[in-house]
Amino acid sequence: MDKYDVIVVGGGHAGAEAAHAVFRMGFSCALVTFNQKTIGQMSCNPAIGGLGKSHIVREIEALGGLMPQATDLSGIQYRTLNTRKGDAVQALRVQCDRELYKKAVQKIIKETNIRVFEEEVVDLVIKNNRVNGVLTKNQTIKAKKTILTTGTFLNGKMYTGESVTKGGRVGDGSAIPLSKRLYDLDLPMGRLKTGTPARIKLSSIDITKLEVQPGEKPTPWMSLYNRPKKHQKQIPCYITRTNEKTHNIIKKNTHLSAMYSGNIVGIGPRYCPSIEDKVNKFEDKKSHQIFIEPEGISKDLVYPNGISTSLPHKAQKDFIHSIKGLERSVIEEYGYAVEYDFVDPRSLKSSLETKFLKNFYLAGQINGTTGYEEAAAQGLMAGINACRAIQKKQSLILERSEAYIGVLINDLTNHGITEPYRMFTSRAEHRLLLSQNNAEQRLLKKAFGLGLVEEKRYKQYIEKEQQYQDFVNKELKTKKLKSFINKENQKINLPESKSVFSLLYRTDANKTKLFTTNKQNDGFYKRTITETKYEGYIQKQLREITKTKKQNRKKIPKNTNYSKINGLSNEVKEKLNTNQPDTIGSAANIEGVTPAAINLILIQLKKNKMQKQNA
Amino acid sequence: MSVVFALATPPAKSAICVFRVSGSGCLKKLGDLFDKEGFRFGRFYVNDLFYKKNVVDRVGLIVFKGPNSYTGEDSFEVYAHGGLGVMSSIVRAFKDVGFDEAPGGEFTKRAFLNNKISLNEAEAVSDLIDSTDERGVALSSKSLFGELSKKVVSFSGEIDSIRVRVEGDIDFSDEDNEYIDESLVKDLKNLCNRFDSFVAGCVNKKFGYEKNKILLIGPVNSGKSSVFNRLLGFERALVSNTPGTTRDLISSELFYEASSFSVFDSAGIRDTKDRIEEAGIAASLSQINDADLVLMVFEDYDPAAFDRFKGLCGDKPFINIQNKIDVNKPNNSFDCCVSAKSGAGFDVLKSLIISAFDVGAKKDDFNFIIRDRHEALFKKVVLDLSKSLMGLSGGDSIELVAEDLKNARSHLDEMVGKKFSDSLLGDIFNDFCIGK
Repeated sequence: MDKYDVIVVGGGHAGAEAAHAVFRMGFSCALVTFNQKTIGQMSCNPAIGGLGKSHIVREIEALGGLMPQATDLSGIQYRTLNTRKGDAVQALRVQCDRELYKKAVQKIIKETNIRVFEEEVVDLVIKNNRVNGVLTKNQTIKAKKTILTTGTFLNGKMYTGESVTKGGRVGDGSAIPLSKRLYDLDLPMGRLKTGTPARIKLSSIDITKLEVQPGEKPTPWMSLYNRPKKHQKQIPCYITRTNEKTHNIIKKNTHLSAMYSGNIVGIGPRYCPSIEDKVNKFEDKKSHQIFIEPEGISKDLVYPNGISTSLPHKAQKDFIHSIKGLERSVIEEYGYAVEYDFVDPRSLKSSLETKFLKNFYLAGQINGTTGYEEAAAQGLMAGINACRAIQKKQSLILERSEAYIGVLINDLTNHGITEPYRMFTSRAEHRLLLSQNNAEQRLLKKAFGLGLVEEKRYKQYIEKEQQYQDFVNKELKTKKLKSFINKENQKINLPESKSVFSLLYRTDANKTKLFTTNKQNDGFYKRTITETKYEGYIQKQLREITKTKKQNRKKIPKNTNYSKINGLSNEVKEKLNTNQPDTIGSAANIEGVTPAAINLILIQLKKNKMQKQNA
Repeated sequence: MSVVFALATPPAKSAICVFRVSGSGCLKKLGDLFDKEGFRFGRFYVNDLFYKKNVVDRVGLIVFKGPNSYTGEDSFEVYAHGGLGVMSSIVRAFKDVGFDEAPGGEFTKRAFLNNKISLNEAEAVSDLIDSTDERGVALSSKSLFGELSKKVVSFSGEIDSIRVRVEGDIDFSDEDNEYIDESLVKDLKNLCNRFDSFVAGCVNKKFGYEKNKILLIGPVNSGKSSVFNRLLGFERALVSNTPGTTRDLISSELFYEASSFSVFDSAGIRDTKDRIEEAGIAASLSQINDADLVLMVFEDYDPAAFDRFKGLCGDKPFINIQNKIDVNKPNNSFDCCVSAKSGAGFDVLKSLIISAFDVGAKKDDFNFIIRDRHEALFKKVVLDLSKSLMGLSGGDSIELVAEDLKNARSHLDEMVGKKFSDSLLGDIFNDFCIGK
């Protein structure tokens, strides 16, 4: 008999979320990590959320995950981005206390029956192409399913100037034997890089010279459910800028940067360039913003976001000292570039189980993503789907029109990646459907059905939805007005009185003046404003979705030989042959596959079917 | 697959017309249609065809057994008399037994699916059918794969570059970049205008796929139908000297030199109490709007009548014709003088027609020939672009502007390929310094 249902290797954001999902679904779980003190460690900047990312966090919450809870237990500054834009593209960003965040995750894990092993995994137990567990330095741990969430630890190398250290994060080792094993399996792998800035002592910064960015008031919450009684102490962030002197120092030293030395082959994220890249690529930009993020309430350390670098220590010190407010700053830890291996996510099924080994799942940065939220989302889905497989039930595959998590996994498993993958709202073609504020409406019912959330919570939700419907029907649709105030603040008389609800569809009406809200219904009213504003677009999207859904679900037989389909370009043939999409929808999502190519594939499928019928 | 049918000959009055029917199960319905069974494959039968137990026409019939047919399926062909009444009765009879009217290209598609022809052949067949003259064929390949697609690619690129700024403003608003300013509104406005005139250029010139329409109008009994018949070279319109004989618009195709035209005969225009004829007159007035060239046929010169008809034509090009010069004296106030009875003056008329089109729409400065499908897509693009411009200048939520732009761009996917979000993001990263 297997000792555990699921083994999770790695205790980062993907690992913690995976293990917790397994626990919630009622299965036994072993979490194997190098160092249990680093479970839930934020290894990059200490913030959760932002555009596309808070959307994911709220989805994780609707699926019962721990990230939003840990965020609120450690949040020291909350800000909603894009407040002047519509609901679908607003996003909450939370600065967290690094220590408190980690502690919160560890506490949440401790409250479960998840068994934590502090060991290094050196090999997988493989029999007949199935993974039956892992081999650590001391023992063999067996399980029905194994989830690997080893982040940047696969063949990790850190670079500063000319020095190279093995490891994925300062202070931790690199999982070399395990990555060798994965290389021996001959998996499609690649190499990526990312960077961090130096960490600076807050007490050594002259904050009087900096722009202060306080948090939002009243302070919002990331979680809708399971909130702590009150927020942590809220503290501000600061903004400063590079200047011409800074740029000169960087330019003079660029040739010494590890990233320019030719030693690094990995591809870095274009949305998170090093300061060397920014200065050299955008030469006409005379100054770049630096966002000074506090590391914690009682920690004398900041994360200067915007100046990640792999310059030698001296050059780092020089350019940092040239920046306003940082003239006398003390550097606690220098910036470095990390290079690491990832597994081409196209070798995964939509459930995140690998195509090459059964009972084996990959989640998080190992699949080429970056970001805590992206990692957590994958861990969560891998955990859920490992359990679903044990239950012999269908995997939970979220649609692109249903969740950012659906977009994330669909993009990864179909397109693969060319740089570390980060979520943005523009990746979601059904963006208007996916607000950070409607994740529950999209996912909670499913989550309850899977056993991921308690009944109590589901009932609360149903009750709230009922209250909302009552509000719309009994207040907005009943209350009639004879006139309204338009956007130019003029009173417009109506020939016959109209309900508030129908006036919400008028683009010229000043909506906040149509209805006076109170504390209870203010959120409801905002929701109606959004829903009526988006309705036309959403109807159109829904029509498109139903139209393409049927076609997209059409299965493509395994091992289809696309070279035999006349009319497809060689490039498309090659892409289809390598990817072997399992459905028409997946095929359509491969770059370069045009609607015309999809038609040809459909015709071919039909043809095969007809030939079979005739045979 | 379902049983489909289509008229294989043009939908105009002619000596015979041919219907083609294909699909598994079609042969089972022969009993209902012909009140007889046991037709053998590949033989020619002559039988009565029935619609609801009444004889429609005595027709010829050939039955094909799949896969030995054009489509590869069981099919049959019906050769009937070419009257419009007969045609519509046969259509009704087919629908009555459960056959569906085939969408364009359906037979070719089935032939392709059944390995009867290759994809290239299938495309070639449909292009040949769609194009109506030699120049059209040449132009169609040029426009679809050459200049037109270049043009659409360049418009798509412009939409993309506007999307870069709008999407940048949404996803990277906390970076210190300026994405949206007056110049964006100006660029979008400019793009809208140029796309509008591009689409207008595509629709106006319809040499290839849609024939030029020539409409005959004139006072009652001026001999329009005789001119019509003489132009076509044979009797098609019902001709009599009772005023008001032509009650329906009658059309036929005229092939002249390497061009083809659709010629429409209309009822004469006069004040009438005959309600049927009133309807015919209303129809011919609306036809003027659709016509590319109007032929005004008069018996003699009457300035008042001439002005009245000229007024009806609005700004349509017209040729002013005097008919019946075999009995009346030719008047040089007309563009040309003819006798439908003797055929005198028709050479002049035909060359006037050709030159009218050559002047009005020189082949060299044609813009683009497009298919209906493309026209429909372009019109959607126009709509979405103008919505996005309204939204952007009206201060609407930027995510809705982004949605309109995305929709506008997605209509062009079919012609220029999909713009993937990853590549759009790449453009943002190239244009703006992103990354704190």
